[in-house]
Formats: sequence, structure tokens, C-alpha cells
Amino acid sequence: MTTSVSEAGDLLGELCRQAARLLDGSNGPVHTVRLRAGDLAVEVERPGIPDGVRPVVVNDVPVEPDDADPDGAESICAPTVGTFYRAPEPGAEPFVREGDRVEAGQQVAILEAMKLMNPIEAEATGRVVRVLVPDGESVEYGQPLFVIAPAA
Amino acid sequence: MFSSVLIANRGEIALRVARACRELGVRTVMVHSTADRDSPALRLADERVQIGPPPSRRSYLYPPAILEAALRTGVDAIHPGYGFLSEDPDFAEMCEAQGLAFIGPPAQVMGRLGDKAQAREVAAEAGLPVLPGSPRAVDNGLEAKEVAERIGYPVIIKAVAGGGGRGMAVVRAGRDLARAYATTRAAAQATFGDGRVYVERYLESARHVEVQILADRHGNVVSLGERDCSVQRRRQKLIEETPATGLPAGLAERICAAAVRGARACDYVGAGTFEFLVDDRGDFFFIEVNSRIQVEHPVTEMATGIDIVAEQLRVAAGHPLSIRQEDVRPRGVAIECRVNAEDPDRDFLPTAGLVQQFVPPGGPFTRVDTHGAPGVRITADYDSLLAKVIVWAPDREQAIGRMERALDEFQVGGHGIRTTIGFLREVLANSLFRDAKHNTSLVSDVLDLR
Repeated sequence: MTTSVSEAGDLLGELCRQAARLLDGSNGPVHTVRLRAGDLAVEVERPGIPDGVRPVVVNDVPVEPDDADPDGAESICAPTVGTFYRAPEPGAEPFVREGDRVEAGQQVAILEAMKLMNPIEAEATGRVVRVLVPDGESVEYGQPLFVIAPAA
Repeated sequence: MFSSVLIANRGEIALRVARACRELGVRTVMVHSTADRDSPALRLADERVQIGPPPSRRSYLYPPAILEAALRTGVDAIHPGYGFLSEDPDFAEMCEAQGLAFIGPPAQVMGRLGDKAQAREVAAEAGLPVLPGSPRAVDNGLEAKEVAERIGYPVIIKAVAGGGGRGMAVVRAGRDLARAYATTRAAAQATFGDGRVYVERYLESARHVEVQILADRHGNVVSLGERDCSVQRRRQKLIEETPATGLPAGLAERICAAAVRGARACDYVGAGTFEFLVDDRGDFFFIEVNSRIQVEHPVTEMATGIDIVAEQLRVAAGHPLSIRQEDVRPRGVAIECRVNAEDPDRDFLPTAGLVQQFVPPGGPFTRVDTHGAPGVRITADYDSLLAKVIVWAPDREQAIGRMERALDEFQVGGHGIRTTIGFLREVLANSLFRDAKHNTSLVSDVLDLR
């Protein structure tokens, strides 16, 4: 579908309003906002995850037990309701695969919520044992996304 | 009618909305915090989404998570219940911006009425009597004092953004005004994020009478009659009833007519409540509008047979009200008691813990709206309302007797759990209440007798 200049302008104006409104309700600093008219999405990048959307550990969310999980393995859980993306963009290589080593603070996924792209980072250094959620799937708050084995 | 609705609330009101949806064939999505994961309220939801941790500001008061859940589940509308985001015009606007119907009045109307000083202006313009006071928010303590001296003490300082009985201070003498002004401002800023306050005459012993309104987008405004909510502790209602017994002849009708005028004047849509105070001379004064469903709506439902939540859903979906004014024919007397998980012997301190025993009353003309059940954990994260017991009878004496019987049956137990059931029975036994000669001072009188 093509978009005329005036339509694009209207869309852009509306997106600016929506972005401003949503950013109002979000926590923490934002260093990049990208707007695109037509098939438009708002992309927001933050320097790091603010307190409001840090990965969470919800110990009583059941993770399907797996005998192969090493002792001390921990889950990285969804910090909010959203859509889970394993890669920075469609068709790109995933941030991490099972078996990869991750460093504390390394980005392992994106969680899109209200058109905001929230980076999900590893809390601690370790190894990705399991990826629990398929790419593009909706998740709820506290849902386990990865099982990470602590670094030896 | 909507095909699906997201319920952005918890506890008994979430259950109440889910029931109305189910009766109308509407699919429900219920959002919940981790603290409410095992709430019995969720059993009536067709779908559930966990949106955040226990603190409300990260879950039930966090629009991005609620809206994301709404968009992911493909609902048509959001019902906010009461409290939380129910009177937040910004949230209503966000819903509309995402193509979701907000089940409540338009954001602009809610914004005007949510500002209590503006609501007074709207009411005065519509010809409703308002208490003498500052025409708008006062800018400083000096101005507050000037207003107080002009209208005479006692006065009440109220937060412009207030609600739920919070953000108010009564001042009986000029020497106390500066401090009350400063503390109310600070409390209002902390509680509501808006420190503006206004000054109004305080009625020492008034009746609290409110009117349930329904309005649609087709110009129909209907009054469902009045409720008396004079039994309050620290401006929190404990017992509500309809009709308001013991008012001078014709007064209730005049109050209801005033509420309809007010609703028309502000282009109200949905279910709303116009609140008034009635002084001992029989004069009535507008105080505020609650632009949401109220805790005490069941007493009106019991007396009129009208499902207020179903009407909310119809109106929000663009349909006209299913009733006209002449269809509203209240019968008998309905009373509601709020059973809170609080300890009356420790200044109504909220109690938390695991409910082990929960046996609600039953029987004729007895309704219990509750999310309580054995195994439910009451946490300190949310308000302490555990259940509402509502009874109906042909007259007030029988209704009080029925309520006493119902409260006798109600058994709640668990380590550390206390409830207000015993205290409610003390109020019901009070002669002023039984003779309908009570006012907003009744609860403190009962407490003084203990």
C-alpha cells in the first residue's frame, strides 16, 4: 500500500503524539526514537534498562523441569507483557543460541511492549542452557525466557 | 455489543464485571499481578494475563502493560472497575488512541469532573446548590484563610484531585488553618501527584446522599434513585442503603432531579454517581461526581432490578440504555455492608494472611460479592475490602434483620485475619441507625461507646 505525503504527515504527527504519550508513561532515559510513516513503527532505544523494565526473577513461575539443567541454573524472565524477539531484526542471527556463553549485561533478546523495544540482558555471566519461548511469541510478566547456567 | 472485554482490575469488582460479561456473551480477559495469580476472581475469565509484580504502580496502575495485554489478546474494550485507572482521563485517552473502547465517560468529561474544583463550577452552572467555598483552587495559605474567614469555620480543605475520602482536612479555627493547608497540599501532591487544594464549608453532622446515574450517547439520562452512605469512618463508607430513609418529604426526588440536570450539563456518558450532603435543615449541596462504577452499586441493583454493569457495557458499545426513566421503579429497601479485612480493635488496621475458613452467608434476598475463599492470601498490597453483603427486604426493619442474620452466618478465619463483621453488627444495633436518625458522625459515636 502506498502512502501519500499528506497521509504520511498525518501518520507521523499521530505517531509523535502516541510516542510522546507512551514515553511519558515509561521509565528512564531514552536516547533514540525512530519514527517511520507508511508501514510505520516507533522504535525507542535506551542506554540501558531502567528499573521499571529490568529482567525479573519470579521464583514461583514454573519452568518445565529438565533433568539436563545444571545445578544452580536460573531463568531470565520477562520484565513486562510483550512480544519476545530473539534477533535484532527479522531474518538476522539471534542474539544468543543454546550453548552460547553470555556475559553479565549482554543483550540476549528484545521484548516489544507498546512499540517500545526493551533490550533483555543477562543478569550474570553464564551459559545459555535453554531458550524457552519461540521468536515472535507473546509473553506475560515474569514468564521465563531463558535458562542460564552460572559460569563455573 | 463487544465481543471481548479486558478487565483492568482485581478482586470482587473484577468478578462482578466478568459475570455481567458472561451473561451478555462477551469474552473476558483478566489481567492480574503476581500477588493475585491464584485469585478466585480469575476462574471466571476466559483468558488471563499476568502484567506485573504486586505493587499497583507496576501492574494495575501501569498502562503500558495493561494496553499491551489488551492489544495482544485482541479485546474491543477495557473495563477499569473502580479505583486504579478508573477515573484517569489519560488512560481513557490511551485506550481510545489504541482503538479500544474505555468503559466509562469520555476522557474530557472525566478530566473536568476529576478536578473537584472544576466539578463544583460545572454543578453551580447547572443550577445545583454547592457549599460556600473557594471558586477554584487556592494559591496559598493566605488565600485559603481569607476564604475560610469569609465563609466561616469549620471548613474542609480538599484536594482538587482527591477521591476515596483521601486528601482532606477539617479546620475548626483560624489558628490551625496554615498548618492544615500545608499538610493537605503535601499529602495531595504525594497521593495524587497534584497538590492543588480548595476550601469549602464543612458540615458537621450531615447525611451523605448520592444518586446513581446512567447516561448514553443518544441523549438519555436516567436516575436510578438515591443511596444513603452516611455510615462512614474517616470518610470511608461502611454501610450503604437505598432509599435514603428519614429525609424530608420530596427531598430525595429533588436531589435525583438535580443529579440528572448535572449529568446533562456535563454531557455525561456511562454510569456515574453524583454525591451530595444534606444538612440538618434539609438543605442539600453537591460535593462531587464519581465517574465510574461504585463499590455500593449493588444496593441500587437490588432495589431496581437493573444490572448497572450490563448498562455500562451497552452504553460503551454505543447502544442506547435498555431502560427509560419510567422503567425505574425501586421497591423495598436494600442495604450493603462492606466486610473489610481490618481489625476494629486496633484502629481498623488492615490485616494480612491466609484465609483458611470462609463461609459466606446465603438465603433469601441475600447477595455476596466477594473474591474471598479458603486458601486466598490477603496481602497488604491492595485495599482491605474482602466482601460485600447486600440484602433486600420489603421494608427497612426487615432489611436490617436480614442483614444481621447474614452477618451472623458469615464466617472468616485464618492466622492473623480479622474482619469488620462484628463492628458492622454494632452499628446495625445502634438506635440512631435503626431509627434512621444517623449522620456521618455515627461511626465515631459507636466507637466512643466501646
